[in-house]
Amino acid sequence: MRRLSLSSRLALLFAGCTAVVSLFAGVLFGRASEVHFVELDQQLMESRLAVLRSTLQGADTLESFTLRLPALLQDLAHQPELAVRVRGPDGHLWFDSSPRLPLALETRPGLGSLQINGTDYRVLVPQNDNANAPHLTLLLDITHHQHFLQRMQRLIWMTVGLSALATAILGAWAARSGLRPLRRMSAIAASVSADSLNARLPQKQMPAELADLATAFNAMLGRLDDSFQRLSAFSADIAHELRTPLSNLLTHTQVTLTRPRGIEEYREALHSNLEELQWMAQLVNDMLYLAKADHGLLTPRREPLELGHEVEALLEFYAMLAEDSQIELSREGSAQIAGDRSMLRRALSNLLDNALRYTPAGGVIRVLVGWSVNGVSISIENSGPGIPTELLPRLFDRFYRADPARREGSSEHAGLGLAITQSIIRAHGGQIRCESQAGITRFVIDLPNNT
Amino acid sequence: MKLLIVEDQVKTGQYLRQGLSEAGFTTELAADGITGQHLALTGDYSLLILDVMLPGRDGWQILQAVRSAGLSMPVLFLTARDAVDDRVHGLELGADDYLVKPFAFSELLARVRSLLRRGSNTPQETSLQLADLRLDLIRRRAERNGQRIDLTAKEFSLLELLLRRQGEVLPKSLIASQVWDMNFDSDTNVIEVAIRRLRLKIDDNHEQKLIHTVRGMGYVLEERSS
Repeated sequence: MRRLSLSSRLALLFAGCTAVVSLFAGVLFGRASEVHFVELDQQLMESRLAVLRSTLQGADTLESFTLRLPALLQDLAHQPELAVRVRGPDGHLWFDSSPRLPLALETRPGLGSLQINGTDYRVLVPQNDNANAPHLTLLLDITHHQHFLQRMQRLIWMTVGLSALATAILGAWAARSGLRPLRRMSAIAASVSADSLNARLPQKQMPAELADLATAFNAMLGRLDDSFQRLSAFSADIAHELRTPLSNLLTHTQVTLTRPRGIEEYREALHSNLEELQWMAQLVNDMLYLAKADHGLLTPRREPLELGHEVEALLEFYAMLAEDSQIELSREGSAQIAGDRSMLRRALSNLLDNALRYTPAGGVIRVLVGWSVNGVSISIENSGPGIPTELLPRLFDRFYRADPARREGSSEHAGLGLAITQSIIRAHGGQIRCESQAGITRFVIDLPNNT
Repeated sequence: MKLLIVEDQVKTGQYLRQGLSEAGFTTELAADGITGQHLALTGDYSLLILDVMLPGRDGWQILQAVRSAGLSMPVLFLTARDAVDDRVHGLELGADDYLVKPFAFSELLARVRSLLRRGSNTPQETSLQLADLRLDLIRRRAERNGQRIDLTAKEFSLLELLLRRQGEVLPKSLIASQVWDMNFDSDTNVIEVAIRRLRLKIDDNHEQKLIHTVRGMGYVLEERSS
């Protein structure tokens, strides 16, 4: 079953609260006015009682009562809604100002109320101090009070109903307008597709409660946008990178086959094709490696490694190349780590290869290995012209080359080396960054200590 | 030396067969898993080259059948799937080596030869020789035409590798792996530099060159009648 919408729920909640509050207030007010009316009636009846008593002073017998009857009637004429019954000390009914009422009435002393033929009465049976005095019963018609109370009760119910309805409507409106930022958010989320990842929520206009959500949402869009941009650039780059060697292969093979040639020419053509093909195979293998890393399939083994020893082996590997280019290689420090030997060697070799490529003759490449706060740090620095700061963030992008004119279809590397290095370092749970100033470029790898 | 190739892709299979035959091996080719398994169990081969993805029975199943039949010939896997799991799976089942497509034929040939050599117990040589080049493995000395040649440790290892596998084209990746223990694809020209330096010491002052470059494939040490 579909849950009620948030604004309906809020509206119902508002309406319920208002109904309860106004009902409570209404009931309280009704009770208070009822009590107030009882007090008024009592005061009125007690004041009449005092007048009647003084009129009937000394009327102990029916005869003496009959003598005072005209005065009594005169008293009663002032108060048409008041009825009086007088009984003698023996209990006989001497007088009844409203004979319509039934004889059997409440005779318990005190104030009471009763309903006779649809009319409400307040009854006062006073305590008799003098046993010989006649017994009085006072009946006050309180229909008008009751009418007032009923009207008020209706009013209360109406108020309750109307205010609940009004708050429901107002609440629904308030909730809807309060939730407008959410709807805007969902509209933007609904409109996001691969083509429009640049949509963002207006963070400034968001209410405080939604600001965090909006920030997180925007950050998510940012990450998606970034990954998507890189991915589409990657696909475009793959196509571009493969196009050059492919068109070379096609052209060269077709040209070779257009007419009969000597065996040496065929051999030459095949050799040239082989070079292109090897370059393409290397590219495909590198891309497979990166794809594997992207899918989290790059699972490094965890063998205990002495990093100083590993770096030394790599420096030995590159020693002759460095000597040829008159570059000095050196290493300082060591540290232990659990990692994948061949993967880490590959990662570091890409960095060394890179450093050798960009260090001018007579320069130095230094590898520093050591413990850092969180684990192990390896930094590879080389002398040289340095990399402009604005290019540093793009350095690890696939197919990125600092100098776009550097390679086009030659057998030189395709610009995946640093991306692969980064993937390997990340698979080990580490980070790599590059810092460059005039005269020095430094790649810093931080690996977590997990030995 | 009789080899069996089980490969369902017709072109790949034929090229492999041609290449290995021309390298001096007797080669048979099966194009599906069922034929492949039947041949592998009955044919008395020195080495099996199995594709992983095959119709009928896959490479793993053939390997299992071969091993449970008590056959211990080396098995080399070829696969287009480059997943670590595959490698682990294969090695657990008893595969001896592994190549991921696309691979270079020279690489395959070198691996096949390594695997075949692993089986045969060659006696420990104390020296290696080709023409007038001689390597004394005990005293770690090299000489050509009676003249001593000074080699660094790595140059010595490189020359030893070339001599041990004389006549074979050794791809750069194999040299990097055997001499420097660098087991990754690298497009660096370290090997070229190393070979150039070795040539300088071995071949430069001699009429007969021993180290040859096979373009696009690697390097070979052999006597060539020029």
